[in-house]
Amino acid sequence: MSTLDIRGRAVGDTLPELALPLDRTTIVAAAIASQDFEDVHHDPSKANDRGTPDIFMSINSTNGFLDRYVTDVFGPTTRFKKVSLRLGVPNFPGDTMTFSGEVTQVAGDDVTLKVVGRNARGAHVTATVTITPSQEAAK
Amino acid sequence: MKELEAQFEQFVGQVAEPPRVARYAVNEAMIRNWVEAHDDLNPVYVDAEAARATGRSGVICPPAMVTTWVMQGYRRWRAVQRQQQTGVVEDHAYFRLLALLAEHGFTSVVATSQEQEYLRELQPGDHVTCHFTIESISPVKRTGLGLGCFITLNKRYEDQHGELLVDERFVMLRFDPRTQEDVA
Repeated sequence: MSTLDIRGRAVGDTLPELALPLDRTTIVAAAIASQDFEDVHHDPSKANDRGTPDIFMSINSTNGFLDRYVTDVFGPTTRFKKVSLRLGVPNFPGDTMTFSGEVTQVAGDDVTLKVVGRNARGAHVTATVTITPSQEAAK
Repeated sequence: MKELEAQFEQFVGQVAEPPRVARYAVNEAMIRNWVEAHDDLNPVYVDAEAARATGRSGVICPPAMVTTWVMQGYRRWRAVQRQQQTGVVEDHAYFRLLALLAEHGFTSVVATSQEQEYLRELQPGDHVTCHFTIESISPVKRTGLGLGCFITLNKRYEDQHGELLVDERFVMLRFDPRTQEDVA
Protein backbone atom coordinates (compact mmCIF):
# COMPACT_ATOMS: atom_id res chain seq x y z
CA MET A 1 0.00 0.00 0.00
CA SER A 2 1.16 3.55 -0.49
CA THR A 3 2.18 5.27 2.70
CA LEU A 4 2.06 8.84 3.94
CA ASP A 5 5.37 10.65 4.45
CA ILE A 6 5.95 11.71 8.05
CA ARG A 7 7.58 14.87 6.70
CA GLY A 8 5.36 17.48 5.18
CA ARG A 9 2.42 16.69 7.41
CA ALA A 10 0.27 19.51 8.72
CA VAL A 11 -2.04 19.81 11.70
CA GLY A 12 -5.48 18.59 10.68
CA ASP A 13 -4.25 16.01 8.13
CA THR A 14 -6.38 12.90 8.42
CA LEU A 15 -5.15 9.32 8.20
CA PRO A 16 -6.87 6.66 6.09
CA GLU A 17 -9.04 4.35 8.19
CA LEU A 18 -8.26 0.71 8.91
CA ALA A 19 -11.05 -1.73 9.84
CA LEU A 20 -9.94 -4.80 11.79
CA PRO A 21 -12.46 -7.62 12.23
CA LEU A 22 -11.66 -9.33 15.54
CA ASP A 23 -12.65 -12.90 16.23
CA ARG A 24 -11.99 -15.03 19.30
CA THR A 25 -8.80 -16.43 17.77
CA THR A 26 -7.40 -12.95 17.09
CA ILE A 27 -7.88 -11.93 20.72
CA VAL A 28 -6.41 -15.16 22.11
CA ALA A 29 -3.49 -15.31 19.64
CA ALA A 30 -2.43 -11.75 20.42
CA ALA A 31 -2.68 -12.34 24.21
CA ILE A 32 -0.58 -15.50 24.03
CA ALA A 33 1.98 -13.89 21.67
CA SER A 34 2.52 -11.36 24.48
CA GLN A 35 2.79 -14.16 27.09
CA ASP A 36 -0.38 -12.92 28.81
CA PHE A 37 -2.22 -15.90 30.34
CA GLU A 38 -4.87 -13.91 32.27
CA ASP A 39 -8.13 -15.84 31.93
CA VAL A 40 -10.17 -12.79 30.86
CA HIS A 41 -8.29 -12.88 27.55
CA HIS A 42 -9.07 -16.53 26.71
CA ASP A 43 -11.61 -18.18 29.05
CA PRO A 44 -15.25 -17.01 28.56
CA SER A 45 -16.68 -18.56 31.72
CA LYS A 46 -13.99 -17.07 33.93
CA ALA A 47 -14.44 -13.71 32.18
CA ASN A 48 -18.15 -13.98 33.15
CA ASP A 49 -17.20 -14.68 36.78
CA ARG A 50 -15.12 -11.52 36.72
CA GLY A 51 -18.02 -9.38 35.55
CA THR A 52 -17.60 -9.19 31.76
CA PRO A 53 -19.86 -10.88 29.18
CA ASP A 54 -17.00 -12.44 27.20
CA ILE A 55 -13.22 -12.50 26.86
CA PHE A 56 -11.75 -9.17 25.76
CA MET A 57 -8.62 -7.84 24.08
CA SER A 58 -5.65 -7.11 26.35
CA ILE A 59 -4.20 -3.61 26.60
CA ASN A 60 -0.88 -4.83 25.22
CA SER A 61 -2.66 -6.23 22.16
CA THR A 62 -4.48 -2.94 21.70
CA ASN A 63 -1.12 -1.19 21.83
CA GLY A 64 0.26 -3.65 19.25
CA PHE A 65 -2.64 -3.06 16.86
CA LEU A 66 -2.13 0.69 17.35
CA ASP A 67 1.53 0.34 16.30
CA ARG A 68 0.42 -1.65 13.30
CA TYR A 69 -2.12 0.98 12.23
CA VAL A 70 0.38 3.83 12.48
CA THR A 71 3.12 2.00 10.53
CA ASP A 72 0.58 0.77 7.95
CA VAL A 73 -0.11 4.47 7.33
CA PHE A 74 3.42 5.95 7.62
CA GLY A 75 5.57 3.01 6.52
CA PRO A 76 8.69 1.26 7.81
CA THR A 77 10.74 4.42 8.51
CA THR A 78 8.34 5.24 11.36
CA ARG A 79 10.02 5.48 14.73
CA PHE A 80 7.77 5.74 17.79
CA LYS A 81 8.77 8.26 20.44
CA LYS A 82 5.73 8.13 22.68
CA VAL A 83 2.36 6.40 22.91
CA SER A 84 -0.27 7.38 25.43
CA LEU A 85 -3.46 5.36 25.23
CA ARG A 86 -6.69 5.21 27.20
CA LEU A 87 -9.14 2.33 26.95
CA GLY A 88 -12.91 2.79 26.64
CA VAL A 89 -15.33 0.01 25.74
CA PRO A 90 -13.79 -3.47 25.49
CA ASN A 91 -13.07 -5.29 22.24
CA PHE A 92 -15.02 -8.57 22.33
CA PRO A 93 -14.95 -11.45 19.82
CA GLY A 94 -17.03 -10.50 16.79
CA ASP A 95 -16.30 -6.79 17.06
CA THR A 96 -14.73 -4.83 14.24
CA MET A 97 -12.36 -2.12 15.43
CA THR A 98 -11.91 0.74 12.99
CA PHE A 99 -8.91 2.98 13.46
CA SER A 100 -8.91 6.60 12.37
CA GLY A 101 -6.47 9.39 13.10
CA GLU A 102 -5.41 12.94 12.54
CA VAL A 103 -2.31 15.06 12.95
CA THR A 104 -2.57 17.27 16.03
CA GLN A 105 0.95 18.71 16.26
CA VAL A 106 4.06 19.08 14.11
CA ALA A 107 7.38 20.01 15.75
CA GLY A 108 10.40 19.70 13.49
CA ASP A 109 10.41 16.07 12.31
CA ASP A 110 8.15 14.96 15.16
CA VAL A 111 4.51 14.42 14.29
CA THR A 112 1.87 13.88 16.96
CA LEU A 113 -1.32 12.07 16.09
CA LYS A 114 -4.63 11.52 17.78
CA VAL A 115 -5.75 7.98 16.97
CA VAL A 116 -9.08 6.42 17.89
CA GLY A 117 -10.05 2.75 17.50
CA ARG A 118 -13.84 2.36 17.57
CA ASN A 119 -16.15 -0.62 17.61
CA ALA A 120 -19.95 -0.60 17.32
CA ARG A 121 -20.35 0.35 21.00
CA GLY A 122 -17.97 3.32 20.97
CA ALA A 123 -14.29 4.17 21.34
CA HIS A 124 -12.22 1.19 22.44
CA VAL A 125 -8.99 3.17 22.48
CA THR A 126 -8.09 6.84 22.31
CA ALA A 127 -4.40 7.49 21.88
CA THR A 128 -1.84 10.23 21.43
CA VAL A 129 1.13 8.98 19.39
CA THR A 130 4.35 10.84 18.57
CA ILE A 131 6.42 9.54 15.66
CA THR A 132 9.53 10.67 13.81
CA PRO A 133 11.37 9.35 10.74
CA SER A 134 14.14 6.82 11.47
CA GLN A 135 17.70 8.17 11.18
CA GLU A 136 18.37 7.10 7.60
CA ALA A 137 15.14 8.67 6.46
CA ALA A 138 16.11 11.83 8.33
CA LYS A 139 19.24 12.38 6.22
CA MET B 1 -13.71 2.38 52.89
CA LYS B 2 -12.01 5.25 54.73
CA GLU B 3 -10.19 2.68 56.83
CA LEU B 4 -9.02 0.93 53.64
CA GLU B 5 -8.01 4.17 51.91
CA ALA B 6 -5.97 5.20 54.95
CA GLN B 7 -3.77 2.18 54.30
CA PHE B 8 -2.97 3.15 50.70
CA GLU B 9 -0.39 5.73 51.73
CA GLN B 10 2.08 3.11 52.97
CA PHE B 11 2.27 1.62 49.44
CA VAL B 12 2.74 4.80 47.41
CA GLY B 13 6.31 5.27 46.20
CA GLN B 14 7.25 1.71 47.14
CA VAL B 15 9.10 -0.70 44.88
CA ALA B 16 6.21 -2.93 43.75
CA GLU B 17 8.17 -6.17 43.42
CA PRO B 18 11.76 -7.21 42.75
CA PRO B 19 13.07 -6.21 39.30
CA ARG B 20 11.82 -8.55 36.59
CA VAL B 21 14.64 -9.91 34.49
CA ALA B 22 13.61 -11.23 31.07
CA ARG B 23 13.86 -15.02 30.77
CA TYR B 24 15.69 -14.62 27.46
CA ALA B 25 17.08 -11.92 25.21
CA VAL B 26 14.96 -10.08 22.66
CA ASN B 27 14.81 -12.50 19.76
CA GLU B 28 13.47 -12.84 16.25
CA ALA B 29 11.23 -15.87 16.92
CA MET B 30 9.15 -14.15 19.60
CA ILE B 31 8.99 -11.00 17.46
CA ARG B 32 7.73 -12.96 14.47
CA ASN B 33 4.98 -14.63 16.53
CA TRP B 34 3.90 -11.22 17.81
CA VAL B 35 3.75 -9.50 14.41
CA GLU B 36 1.87 -12.44 12.89
CA ALA B 37 -0.72 -12.32 15.70
CA HIS B 38 -1.24 -8.61 14.92
CA ASP B 39 -1.14 -9.28 11.16
CA ASP B 40 1.51 -6.56 11.01
CA LEU B 41 3.37 -6.53 7.68
CA ASN B 42 5.96 -3.88 8.60
CA PRO B 43 9.16 -5.52 7.27
CA VAL B 44 11.52 -3.90 9.80
CA TYR B 45 10.47 -6.50 12.39
CA VAL B 46 11.40 -9.56 10.32
CA ASP B 47 13.67 -8.55 7.43
CA ALA B 48 17.16 -7.28 8.31
CA GLU B 49 17.70 -5.86 4.82
CA ALA B 50 14.47 -3.88 4.96
CA ALA B 51 15.39 -2.66 8.44
CA ARG B 52 18.84 -1.53 7.23
CA ALA B 53 17.18 0.38 4.39
CA THR B 54 15.52 2.53 7.07
CA GLY B 55 18.78 3.24 8.90
CA ARG B 56 18.54 0.53 11.56
CA SER B 57 21.42 -1.93 12.02
CA GLY B 58 19.05 -4.89 11.77
CA VAL B 59 15.53 -5.95 12.70
CA ILE B 60 13.85 -4.16 15.58
CA CYS B 61 11.21 -5.14 18.10
CA PRO B 62 7.70 -3.66 17.84
CA PRO B 63 7.48 -0.88 20.46
CA ALA B 64 4.38 -2.25 22.18
CA MET B 65 6.12 -5.62 22.62
CA VAL B 66 8.43 -4.32 25.35
CA THR B 67 6.08 -5.63 28.04
CA THR B 68 6.29 -9.16 26.60
CA TRP B 69 9.96 -9.63 27.43
CA VAL B 70 9.38 -9.34 31.16
CA MET B 71 6.25 -11.48 31.35
CA GLN B 72 6.96 -14.29 33.74
CA GLY B 73 6.00 -17.24 31.57
CA TYR B 74 3.32 -19.89 31.83
CA ARG B 75 4.88 -21.94 34.64
CA ARG B 76 5.39 -18.96 36.93
CA TRP B 77 1.90 -17.67 36.09
CA ARG B 78 0.42 -21.01 37.20
CA ALA B 79 2.45 -20.92 40.42
CA VAL B 80 1.18 -17.42 41.26
CA GLN B 81 -2.41 -18.56 40.60
CA ARG B 82 -1.96 -21.49 43.01
CA GLN B 83 -0.48 -19.20 45.65
CA GLN B 84 -3.46 -16.86 45.39
CA GLN B 85 -5.91 -19.75 45.77
CA THR B 86 -4.15 -20.95 48.90
CA GLY B 87 -3.90 -17.43 50.33
CA VAL B 88 -0.12 -17.29 50.20
CA VAL B 89 1.08 -13.69 49.80
CA GLU B 90 4.62 -12.99 48.66
CA ASP B 91 6.23 -10.30 50.75
CA HIS B 92 6.39 -7.52 48.18
CA ALA B 93 4.49 -4.24 48.39
CA TYR B 94 2.44 -4.93 45.26
CA PHE B 95 1.35 -8.43 46.36
CA ARG B 96 0.42 -7.08 49.80
CA LEU B 97 -1.61 -4.28 48.19
CA LEU B 98 -3.49 -6.73 45.95
CA ALA B 99 -4.17 -9.02 48.92
CA LEU B 100 -5.49 -6.07 50.96
CA LEU B 101 -7.78 -5.05 48.09
CA ALA B 102 -8.97 -8.63 47.60
CA GLU B 103 -9.90 -8.82 51.31
CA HIS B 104 -12.22 -5.88 50.66
CA GLY B 105 -13.79 -7.53 47.58
CA PHE B 106 -11.71 -5.82 44.88
CA THR B 107 -10.85 -9.06 43.13
CA SER B 108 -11.18 -8.10 39.44
CA VAL B 109 -8.85 -6.06 37.30
CA VAL B 110 -8.95 -4.14 34.03
CA ALA B 111 -6.18 -2.03 32.53
CA THR B 112 -7.38 1.49 31.76
CA SER B 113 -4.42 3.40 30.35
CA GLN B 114 -0.81 3.07 29.36
CA GLU B 115 1.80 5.66 28.48
CA GLN B 116 5.15 4.60 27.04
CA GLU B 117 8.07 6.81 26.13
CA TYR B 118 10.57 5.02 23.88
CA LEU B 119 14.17 6.12 24.36
CA ARG B 120 15.52 3.71 21.81
CA GLU B 121 14.30 0.82 19.68
CA LEU B 122 14.87 -2.71 21.03
CA GLN B 123 16.87 -5.17 18.95
CA PRO B 124 17.58 -8.90 19.18
CA GLY B 125 20.22 -9.47 21.85
CA ASP B 126 18.95 -6.78 24.23
CA HIS B 127 18.28 -8.26 27.65
CA VAL B 128 15.45 -6.39 29.36
CA THR B 129 14.97 -5.82 33.08
CA CYS B 130 11.94 -3.95 34.39
CA HIS B 131 11.76 -1.96 37.63
CA PHE B 132 8.22 -1.51 39.01
CA THR B 133 7.19 1.26 41.41
CA ILE B 134 3.73 1.93 42.84
CA GLU B 135 3.25 5.56 41.84
CA SER B 136 -0.27 6.30 43.08
CA ILE B 137 -3.51 4.74 44.31
CA SER B 138 -6.80 6.59 43.89
CA PRO B 139 -9.52 6.72 46.53
CA VAL B 140 -12.32 4.15 46.05
CA LYS B 141 -14.64 5.36 43.28
CA ARG B 142 -17.83 4.18 41.66
CA THR B 143 -17.12 3.11 38.08
CA GLY B 144 -19.14 1.43 35.34
CA LEU B 145 -17.75 -1.90 36.50
CA GLY B 146 -18.44 -1.35 40.19
CA LEU B 147 -16.60 0.13 43.16
CA GLY B 148 -12.86 0.19 42.63
CA CYS B 149 -9.61 2.09 42.81
CA PHE B 150 -7.06 2.99 40.18
CA ILE B 151 -3.46 1.90 40.70
CA THR B 152 -0.69 3.61 38.71
CA LEU B 153 2.57 1.71 38.26
CA ASN B 154 5.76 3.22 36.89
CA LYS B 155 7.72 0.67 34.88
CA ARG B 156 11.27 1.40 33.81
CA TYR B 157 12.64 -1.00 31.24
CA GLU B 158 16.42 -1.13 31.05
CA ASP B 159 18.89 -3.13 28.98
CA GLN B 160 21.71 -5.28 30.38
CA HIS B 161 23.91 -2.17 30.72
CA GLY B 162 21.32 -0.27 32.77
CA GLU B 163 20.41 2.00 29.85
CA LEU B 164 16.79 3.15 30.00
CA LEU B 165 14.82 1.79 27.02
CA VAL B 166 11.21 2.60 27.87
CA ASP B 167 9.59 4.62 30.64
CA GLU B 168 5.97 3.55 31.22
CA ARG B 169 2.98 4.57 33.29
CA PHE B 170 0.40 1.83 33.56
CA VAL B 171 -2.98 2.39 35.17
CA MET B 172 -5.38 -0.37 36.14
CA LEU B 173 -8.68 -0.52 37.95
CA ARG B 174 -9.05 -3.05 40.75
CA PHE B 175 -12.80 -3.46 41.29
CA ASP B 176 -15.51 -5.44 43.05
CA PRO B 177 -17.69 -7.04 40.34
CA ARG B 178 -20.49 -7.63 42.90
CA THR B 179 -21.05 -3.88 43.16
CA GLN B 180 -21.73 -3.34 39.45
CA GLU B 181 -24.90 -1.34 38.73
CA ASP B 182 -26.80 -1.44 35.49
CA VAL B 183 -25.71 1.56 33.47
CA ALA B 184 -28.69 3.38 32.01
